[in-house]
Amino acid sequence: MLNILKMDLHRFLTNKVLYLMLLIYTAFQIFGIFMMKQYPVEYDGVPVSSLNASEFIQVGLAQTPSWVLLYVTVFAVYFYMSELNSGFYKNYVSMEGARIHSVLSKVFILGLFTLFIMLTMVISDFIGRNIFFGHASLGDVGYFMKVFFGQFALHWAFSVVVLLLTMLTKNAIVSLGIGVAIALNVPGMVIETFDTLIDGINVSQFMLINTVKTIRDFHDISEVIHVASVAIIYLVLFSFIAVRYKVKEDLR
Amino acid sequence: MSQAIIEVNQLTKRFKSNVAVEKVDFQIERGDIFGLIGQNGAGKSTLLKMIGGLMYPTAGDIHLFDRTVEGNHPYFERMGLLIEDAGLFPSYSAYENLDLIAISYGLKDRKNHIYDLLDLVGLERTNKKKVRNFSMGMKQRLGIAAALLGSPDVLILDEPINGLDPQGISDIRELILKLNQSGMTIILSSHILEELSKVATKYAILHEGKIMEINTKDELLSKCEERIELEVDDAKVVIPVLENRLNVRDYKVIDDQTVYVYDTHVQSQQIVNVLVEEKMAVHSISKHKQSLEQYFLERTGSRGVTYA
Repeated sequence: MLNILKMDLHRFLTNKVLYLMLLIYTAFQIFGIFMMKQYPVEYDGVPVSSLNASEFIQVGLAQTPSWVLLYVTVFAVYFYMSELNSGFYKNYVSMEGARIHSVLSKVFILGLFTLFIMLTMVISDFIGRNIFFGHASLGDVGYFMKVFFGQFALHWAFSVVVLLLTMLTKNAIVSLGIGVAIALNVPGMVIETFDTLIDGINVSQFMLINTVKTIRDFHDISEVIHVASVAIIYLVLFSFIAVRYKVKEDLR
Repeated sequence: MSQAIIEVNQLTKRFKSNVAVEKVDFQIERGDIFGLIGQNGAGKSTLLKMIGGLMYPTAGDIHLFDRTVEGNHPYFERMGLLIEDAGLFPSYSAYENLDLIAISYGLKDRKNHIYDLLDLVGLERTNKKKVRNFSMGMKQRLGIAAALLGSPDVLILDEPINGLDPQGISDIRELILKLNQSGMTIILSSHILEELSKVATKYAILHEGKIMEINTKDELLSKCEERIELEVDDAKVVIPVLENRLNVRDYKVIDDQTVYVYDTHVQSQQIVNVLVEEKMAVHSISKHKQSLEQYFLERTGSRGVTYA
């Protein structure tokens, strides 16, 4: 397990695409804050420029399309498909346990990428807000950590959903298309429609992207548990399906 | 005790209604260069992928090193694979690709091991050149180096000479023979029997997923060699005449009445003339000549098809 993880980690950290994506993301994020200064935006009657880091992150991630989700989609598809298309997996996959370890390693790398992009988001916000809003208040650190790690877990789970889709379709374009549709919360909107049609049902609150996009009060422990539960269930369930699929897959 | 290190029994692979490999049986012994010959689409790659642990059989079983293996068995680690295209990242150099594989194997002293392998396959001077800029021959050689990285007991090479120029083919052939001399068992597939015949010690002809025939090198050459087949009253009497009058040295007495003459300087008509002069009866005389390609086409029922 550790050796395959080391290999994926080596590929991940020496890949210029990773740094290019983070750089482009930083540029767009700071540009986005600049645009907020030019055309002031309000959330719940409060100017966005006056929000602290925790609130600013939540408001940013609640927008459609969520750029973080789109970047995660692109990276998940790229990282898996580049190995599949090159046939590189043939070099190691016949080792004992390699199929399981390979998927778990990809899940870990996607978690790392998600962490990197979210840290980049926080740093870009800090720089952009400092430059264009004249302040970059963090607010309550404990609250900020709950927001950050809650959103990180949800985004990581989303990356694993995209990984499984990519494994199933084995096609970059199709995977990107479906991944973007999910990032745009198309399935969530469909489920919401069903929810409105049937009384007493609220399945959409357990949908991953709905959970990402709902602005919550993380002081409320039940909200924290809800976010953590959704993230863990999606992460474990989709990782498990991905491993089972890879173990049974005929590698052509 | 059996020396077979690979044995497949009734091995079958179906993709929905398409049977890619059907009830294949064979054994490969330690030190063999096992040539798998078949047209494109005959099922060679599918068969090799099952032996290499990339695909699961629909039926039948595989024994590696005297053990039945299934699923993700550790014995599959002892196979070095180059199946279809070499699995390499095009944006990485030869060294970087091998380094990634070496990391996945947990190899110590990666640098020296990789440089030794690059030297072995003649790619020691590629430096930072990316694989996407390699020629087909260089990619194949790097693929072989990748397959050798884990010091396998068995090397599986699927169509390793595809797309290579004559020099590239010759280089790969030399490399295969060198590896075999070091004790490595090699499975080699090709759709060109002529090329396989230069290295393989055992041959299986695969056609539409089925093994049509398995021959040793001697058996195959015997079936394809050029000779005059002579049927007379008494072979023992005829031999001295052929030796003294026609200087025939290379021949084989098949039975009391049949002699095969392999000396190419002798013509059938000369043999008839000499035996008639010696008042010996000739019941039949015929020239036997079949190229390896003709032999293969005959076995696969593909006469009229020309292979490059």
